[in-house]
Amino acid sequence: MTQSVYEQSSFRSNFFVVWDELVKNMKFLMAYPIIFIFWAIFPIFWFIPFILQGEAFVGGLQSANFAQITGSGEYIPFIVIGAVLNSYVNTLLYGMGENIRREAYQGTLDYVFAAPCNKAYVLIGKALSESVSSTIFAASQLTISALLFGMNLTLGVMLPVFFIVILLILGLYGLSLVLAAFSLMYKQSHDVSETIGYIFYIFSPVRYPIESLPFWAQIIGKLIPLTYALIIVRSIMLLGTSFSAMYWEILALIIIDAVLMLAGFYMFNWMETKTKKSGAISHY
Amino acid sequence: MEKNNKDYRLREVKCPAGFSWTNLRAELRAVWESNVKAWKIDLAYPVSFIRQLISPVVFMLPYLLYGLVLIGGRYSENLAQLVGTGDVVAFIFTGYIMMGFIGTAVWAMGFSMRREQWFGTLEAIYVTPASRLGQVLGMALHSTVHQGAGTIIQFIFIYATFGLALNVGGILPALGIFALMMFALYGFGIVISALSLILKEGWIVSDSFYSIMTILSPVAYPLIVLPTLAQQASIIFPTAPALIGMRSFLIENYVPEVVGNVFLHLSVLGAVWILFGVFVFHLTDRYVRKRGMLKKF
Repeated sequence: MTQSVYEQSSFRSNFFVVWDELVKNMKFLMAYPIIFIFWAIFPIFWFIPFILQGEAFVGGLQSANFAQITGSGEYIPFIVIGAVLNSYVNTLLYGMGENIRREAYQGTLDYVFAAPCNKAYVLIGKALSESVSSTIFAASQLTISALLFGMNLTLGVMLPVFFIVILLILGLYGLSLVLAAFSLMYKQSHDVSETIGYIFYIFSPVRYPIESLPFWAQIIGKLIPLTYALIIVRSIMLLGTSFSAMYWEILALIIIDAVLMLAGFYMFNWMETKTKKSGAISHY
Repeated sequence: MEKNNKDYRLREVKCPAGFSWTNLRAELRAVWESNVKAWKIDLAYPVSFIRQLISPVVFMLPYLLYGLVLIGGRYSENLAQLVGTGDVVAFIFTGYIMMGFIGTAVWAMGFSMRREQWFGTLEAIYVTPASRLGQVLGMALHSTVHQGAGTIIQFIFIYATFGLALNVGGILPALGIFALMMFALYGFGIVISALSLILKEGWIVSDSFYSIMTILSPVAYPLIVLPTLAQQASIIFPTAPALIGMRSFLIENYVPEVVGNVFLHLSVLGAVWILFGVFVFHLTDRYVRKRGMLKKF
């Protein structure tokens, strides 16, 4: 006979909530192999125009002006790193809000919220599944790009990069929680996600160095976790800077993560209580 | 109610049939109403509407800033060697205005039928005594005007921020090329909308086509930098010849990468894509109704 949730230890039952949510979302993903293949390969096509643009404007693979600003004249790895890290923004930011919305579409949101568990663990499970799928897609894109454009990827470089990616994911979790909260109350969080996506795309150094932006835009950019993640990862991968030399940027990223996570959990709990009280949870 | 009853007759709807002026007017009315409906839905979500209006600026800025950082100014020696002009701002702007219109064909038209399916209104539209293509063309009209408004905002932004040196006398022929390109893109959009009826996860097809067309169109680089095979493939899509033609009229000293009659090329492409699109749509329409696939998600 299986134990009831109440009889199991709190840690064990919470672990199962997270695990089952992760497994459920991965099953959804694997049920549509074409979508899986699409996200693993196609985002590469989105940055190829920038590489061709570089070739047309500079007439080679190195730009002297680019080297003056970024320290490295090679614009292809700069673009590839920007695109791969930005793919986390695309999947995590849109994914979490849409994940909650999908439960509503499928008619399972009421059951999820009525389940005898802390909803934060359900969200952690959802966030973990988004992170796992994002990392699989990012790894695939990076590997293909490395093969196509001859980038050097060693374990010594990739380990600190992986740590920074985790920090980036934590910051994006915080933002995703805010979006999930919006999704609960206002249902269509898509526009908010898109708008935040635009801000990230313009003010973060995804396609160009942050120094090329006006001063006021640089200040906005420095409030975004992706900016620090990109600066650190590019410094490690392209300039060979040691991890310890980037402690200011790492500290800034950790502070932004903490603020976003706290804001995210607070907003979600607040909206959850509000929607439960108003009965808006089962509305479309 | 008896058939000879007066009230019964009042409810009858006379459906024009065959290729006649009355029928054409009725079909055009259906296209117009579909366009009005799309505008009403659009304006019901003002945040989304404004976001979509400014999106051409948002997505063009990275191309511009990246280009300026690469060369440290707005003049590229290498670009001048390739196409006769080195002004990257004018080059990117004239290229990027096309991007949104590719989206019109691939996303707005391509997904017009699928959207009705999501709303649960596809079957109701299918039983109305009008061509189903009217729905797609209505969406095309709405999306073209919407994108046009976005392009005007884009132009004002670029003009105010960077300044633009375009050949004013070339605007009229460039608009002619643009109109021909749009006809061909409409044909392409009809093909995608037909595919979305069969392939339920049709966004993958749309996104794939969009990405491929973006690479094959010389938006931010001249066609010459593409591999030979890709250059040859680009002639079957209207955007590459249209961009080259428009730039020759709009940018001073621009040397076209491909020599040929752009007007003729685009006219042929327009006719072929529209005929092919209508043919594929007709086949798909019959197929999905026979198989009862309209209801399936």
